[in-house]
Amino acid sequence: MSTRTAAPTSPVTISTRVDKVGRRPKVMRGIRAFAVIVITIIALLPVVWMIMTSLKSPSDVVAVPPKIIFKPSIESFIFLVTERVQFASPQEAAEYKARDDLKWYEEKVAQRGQKITRVGDFPKQLRNSFIIAGTSTIFSVLFGVLSAYAFSRFKIPGEGDLLFFILSTRMLPPVAVTIPIFLMYRELGLDNTYFGLILLYTTFNLSFSVWLLKGFIDEIPKEYEEAALVDGYTRLQAFRKVVLPQAVTGIAATTVFCFIFAWNEYAFAAMLTSDATRTAPPSIPSIQGVGRIEWETIAAASLVFLIPVVIVTFALRKHLLRGVTFGAIRKG
Amino acid sequence: MSSYNQPARRRHIGDKRLIQMFVIPTVLLLILMNVFPLIYSLYLSFTEYSAINPTAPKWVGLDNYRQVLSDNLYWHNFAVTGRYALISVSLQMIVGFSLAMLLKEKFKGSGILTTLILIPMMLSPAVVGAFWKNIFNPSFGIFDQMLGYSDPNTAPEWLGNPNLALWAVVIVDVWMWSPFVMLLSLAGLSAIPDYLYEAAAIDRASAWFQFRRITLPQVMPLLLIAVLFRTIEAFKQFDLVMGLTGGGPALLEGRQAVNVTETVSVRLFRLAMPPQAQTGLSSAMAYVVLVIIIAISNLYIRSLNKIREG
Amino acid sequence: MFKKAFSVVVLIALLSITFTSNFAAAPHKAQAQSVSELTIWWAEWDPANYLQQIGNEYEQETGIKVTVVQEPWATYYNKVGAEWAVQGDSFDMVVGDSQWVGQAVEAGHYVDLTDFLNSNSITETVTPATLQYYGEYPTGSGTYYAYPTEGDANGWAYRKDLFEDPDNMAAFEAQYGYPLAIPETWEQLRDIAEFFTRPDDGLYGAGIYTQVDYDAITMGFENVMFSYGADWKDADNNVLGVVNSPENVAALELYGELYQFAPPGTDNAFFAEMNNVFINGQAAMIMNYFAFFPALDNPEINPYRDSTGYFPMPAGPNGDRYAALGGQGISVNSYISDERKQASLDFIKWFATPDVQARWAAAGGYTCNINVLQSDAFLTQTPYNAAFAETMTFVKDFWNIPQFGLLLEPAQRYLHAYVVGGEGTAQEALDGMAFEMDDILIKEGIISE
Repeated sequence: MSTRTAAPTSPVTISTRVDKVGRRPKVMRGIRAFAVIVITIIALLPVVWMIMTSLKSPSDVVAVPPKIIFKPSIESFIFLVTERVQFASPQEAAEYKARDDLKWYEEKVAQRGQKITRVGDFPKQLRNSFIIAGTSTIFSVLFGVLSAYAFSRFKIPGEGDLLFFILSTRMLPPVAVTIPIFLMYRELGLDNTYFGLILLYTTFNLSFSVWLLKGFIDEIPKEYEEAALVDGYTRLQAFRKVVLPQAVTGIAATTVFCFIFAWNEYAFAAMLTSDATRTAPPSIPSIQGVGRIEWETIAAASLVFLIPVVIVTFALRKHLLRGVTFGAIRKG
Repeated sequence: MSSYNQPARRRHIGDKRLIQMFVIPTVLLLILMNVFPLIYSLYLSFTEYSAINPTAPKWVGLDNYRQVLSDNLYWHNFAVTGRYALISVSLQMIVGFSLAMLLKEKFKGSGILTTLILIPMMLSPAVVGAFWKNIFNPSFGIFDQMLGYSDPNTAPEWLGNPNLALWAVVIVDVWMWSPFVMLLSLAGLSAIPDYLYEAAAIDRASAWFQFRRITLPQVMPLLLIAVLFRTIEAFKQFDLVMGLTGGGPALLEGRQAVNVTETVSVRLFRLAMPPQAQTGLSSAMAYVVLVIIIAISNLYIRSLNKIREG
Repeated sequence: MFKKAFSVVVLIALLSITFTSNFAAAPHKAQAQSVSELTIWWAEWDPANYLQQIGNEYEQETGIKVTVVQEPWATYYNKVGAEWAVQGDSFDMVVGDSQWVGQAVEAGHYVDLTDFLNSNSITETVTPATLQYYGEYPTGSGTYYAYPTEGDANGWAYRKDLFEDPDNMAAFEAQYGYPLAIPETWEQLRDIAEFFTRPDDGLYGAGIYTQVDYDAITMGFENVMFSYGADWKDADNNVLGVVNSPENVAALELYGELYQFAPPGTDNAFFAEMNNVFINGQAAMIMNYFAFFPALDNPEINPYRDSTGYFPMPAGPNGDRYAALGGQGISVNSYISDERKQASLDFIKWFATPDVQARWAAAGGYTCNINVLQSDAFLTQTPYNAAFAETMTFVKDFWNIPQFGLLLEPAQRYLHAYVVGGEGTAQEALDGMAFEMDDILIKEGIISE
C-alpha cells in the first residue's frame, strides 16, 4: 500500500537544501510532515486491523463486509493464556453457566460456549522466547563487538576471506540446513534445550553483528586509542574506556536487529524445540480453537508478542539511525 | 609468559593474544555451527538418500545436480525467485529511500514517526503471512475494501489469481522491509556533510544536480548494502510465502502445471521435508542456491568496494 | 580487573560450547526399567485433548502416566519425520496419518501389531474400512501396524433454514423439476449449489477444499472422483489411462463447476476457511472433515447453529458412494525398549475395550469401534454423528506407498491449476498429471516402462 503513496514524492524533496538559503522552509516542512504522517498511518493500518481483530467475536472476525464498528470484547486475551474445551451439550453449558462460583474470566469464556481446563502454553512459550532471544542477543553482540574490533584495528591474516566467510554463513536458506543441524543437535543432545537454540541464534546473528559493528568501529579514529595507550592504558583498557563508549550507538543498533531476528525466528524453533523449550513463533500462526483457527486469538498473540520488540526498539531508537552505517560512509 | 608480568611492557604486548581472544570465539562458533552442516549436506547432495529411511546414502555422483538443472519445474522456481527478488528489492529501495528523503530533515515528532514506521519489520514473518492472508481475502479482508472494491464478487482475489499472487507477496514484503531500507538510507543521508550542499548552493546548482552529484553517491554504499541483504533474504524467503499462498496458485502453462509463487526456498522445503523427504536431492538444490547467492554477493561486494574506494 | 573478568567470560562461553552438550544429552538416554509413564505424539487439536482425558483415566486405573504431546499441524509431520531420521525414542506411540503407514512400515519405524490385534480379537471390533486404511500395509496383506483411533472423513454441513424455506423449495422445483432436499447425487448437489449462488445477496452454493499446500484439494476432489468410478491406479499400479480416464475427467469438471459456486476468497481453502464461510453466512453448504464440525455446533461461534444440518457424500452416476478419508491410527514406535513396547500395547489393549471406546466417543473422539458407532448414545450425541457413522462405511484413501508424497505433489498442482488457476481443460490437467505420475512411478521402480 505504501508503494502507491510514497513513490511520486521523492523528486519533490530534493529541493530541501534550498531551505538553508531561506525560502519557504515552513511550508515545505509542513508538506513533508503531512506526507510522513499519512505514510505512517498507511503502514500501520494492518497493525490497527490486528488490534481490531483481537477485540472481535468469532463471527465478527469473518463478517462480510469487514466490520469496522463492532462490540469489542477481550475474550481473545483470555483464550491466549488458557486451554479450553467446548461444552458437550447445551445442558452442560446451561448447568455450567448457572454455577455461582465462576470467576469473571470463566464467565467470559462460558459466553463463547467453552470452559477452561488449564493454563495455556503461551505464557511458557513467551518466557522461553525471552530466555532464548535475550541471551543469544547478548552473546551475538558481545562476540560481535570483540571480533569487529579485532578486524578493524589489527591486520589479521586472511582477513578478507574470513569476513566473507562470516557473511556467507548468512546466505544459506535455513531450510537447507535444518536437517543436518537437527541430526548434529540430536547427536550432541542439544535439541530441545535452551542452550542449543541460543547457540544457533548467536551464530546466525554473529555475521550481521560483525559486519555492522566493524563498519562502526572503523569510523572511530584510531588516534583516540593511541593517545590512551601513550597515557599508559593497556590495549584492553583502551578498548573498554575509549572504544566501547564511542561504539555505544553501533552496539545499540546491532542489539535491536539481533533481537528482532532471534525473537521472530520460526523454522529452527519449529524443528529443534518441542513442549518444554518451544518459543512462541511456531505456535502463534496455527492457534487452534475448537474446529477452527482462532484468528482473534492469533491477533492477540501477535500483539502481545510484538510489545517487547517495540519496547526494545523504542528504548534504543536514538542510536538506531547512526548505528547502521556498516562503515559504508566515507569520513569527510 | 613471564614477560607479560612486567608492568612496563604491558601495553606493548598482548595485542596478538588479544586478537586471538577477540576473534577466536566468533570464528570457532561459526566453524562449529556451519562447517558440519555444510560438509554433510555437500556429501548428501551426491547421494540418493531420504533422512526418514534407515537405508544408507547411495552415491549417485552428479545425478541430483543434473535433475535440478534439467527439470523445467526447478527452472521455474529460480525464475519466480529472480522475478520476485528483482521487483521486491527495487520497490523496497524506491519506497525506503523516498521515505528517508522525507524524513532526513527533522521536524517535530519525526523521531517517533521514524520508529513507528519500523513496526512492520518487528513482526514475525510467519505471523505476517498468516495475517495478511486474511487481509487479502476479498470477502472479509480489508485490502480490497481500502482499494474501493466493496463488492466481493468483483474484488480481485489477490492470492487466488495467478496474475496477482506474486504481486501480493511483493506487497507484503515491501510493507514489511521498506522500513529497513529507510533506516539505512537515513543513516547515509544524515552523514552527508553540510558543506557539500553549501558549496553547491553557492554555485547555484539545481536541486536535481545536487541530488545526482551529492546525495545519491554519498548514500549509494549503504543502499548497496541494503540491496545485498534484501536480495539474500529474497532467496531465503520462506515463512511469508508459506503463510500467504503456500506456493500457489497453480497454473497450466502449456502442458505443465506450475505453482506461480513457489520460490526456491518453498520448493526446498517441500523436497526436504516429509512426505517427500528427498534429502539428497534437496541438498543438491540447496547447493545450487548457495552458489547463486555467493556469486551475487560477490558482485555486490565488489561494486561496493569500488564505490568506497573511488 | 577488567581483563581478568573478560577472560573468564570468554573462557566460560568456550567451555560451555564444548561441554554443555554432554550434560544436555542426559535426558534422552534416561530410561526406566519399569514403565511409569508413556508419551504419545499427536497434532495440536481438540481430539488430542480428548485423548489426554482418556490418558488421565488410564493413570487413575493403572498408575501409568500418559502424556499426549501436541505439535501444530503445520510442523507435526516434520517433527515425526525428524524423529524417524534419528530412530529416536521421544515418543512411545504416535497417532499418525493414514498415508504415513507405508513410509513408516517400509522403513521399520512402526511395530507390527498383527498378532497383538488378532490374538486380542481387536481386529473385529473396528469397521473393516478403518482397519484397512489406518492399519494395514501393504493393502490386502492382513498385516497391521496401527489401531484405528480417530476415524475421520469428509461430509457436508448445510443450512436447513435455506433448504426448508417454502419460497426456495417452490423455486427450485420449478427450475430443476425435482424437490429441493439433501442431494443424493453429485449432479443434484451441483444443481443445489447453482441454485443458492446469489452473488448479489452475498450467498454462494458450496464451499469446497482448494488448498494447494499439502493435500486438501486432492482430498476434496477424491470425494467426487471415487464416486464417479475413477481411481488413482489400476491393479498393476498403472496410472496412464487411469488417472486421465473419462470418468475422472467428468469428476474433475464437476469439481471445477462447484468452485464457480464457491464464496470469493476460498481459492486456497481448507477446514478453517470452510467453517469461516459457513459461520459468516456466505455458504449454503460446505464440505469438511467431521472432526471440524464441533465448532459449528457451538451457538456462540456459529449463528446458524440451530438450523445447521449434516449429510454424507452423495453418489456418483452409477450409484457409487465414497468419502475421502482423514483420521489417524495409533502405532507403536519400534525404537523403544521391549518393556515400553509391552506397556504401549497394554495401553492400546485397554483403549480398544468397548467401555473405553464409548468414553472416548463421549469425550468427543471419533471412535472406529463398530458397536459404539451403532449405539444410540453415539448416533444421537451430536447432530453430525449419524452422518459420520454412515460415512465410515464407504471411505477410501490416496496412495499409501512410501512414495505417496511424490505423487501427491503433482496431484495438488494439476488439480489447483484446473480448478483455481482456470486455464486449460480437465482432460489436459489430468493428462499432465498422469504423465508426471507415470514418470515418478517408473523412476521409483514401482512400475516398468
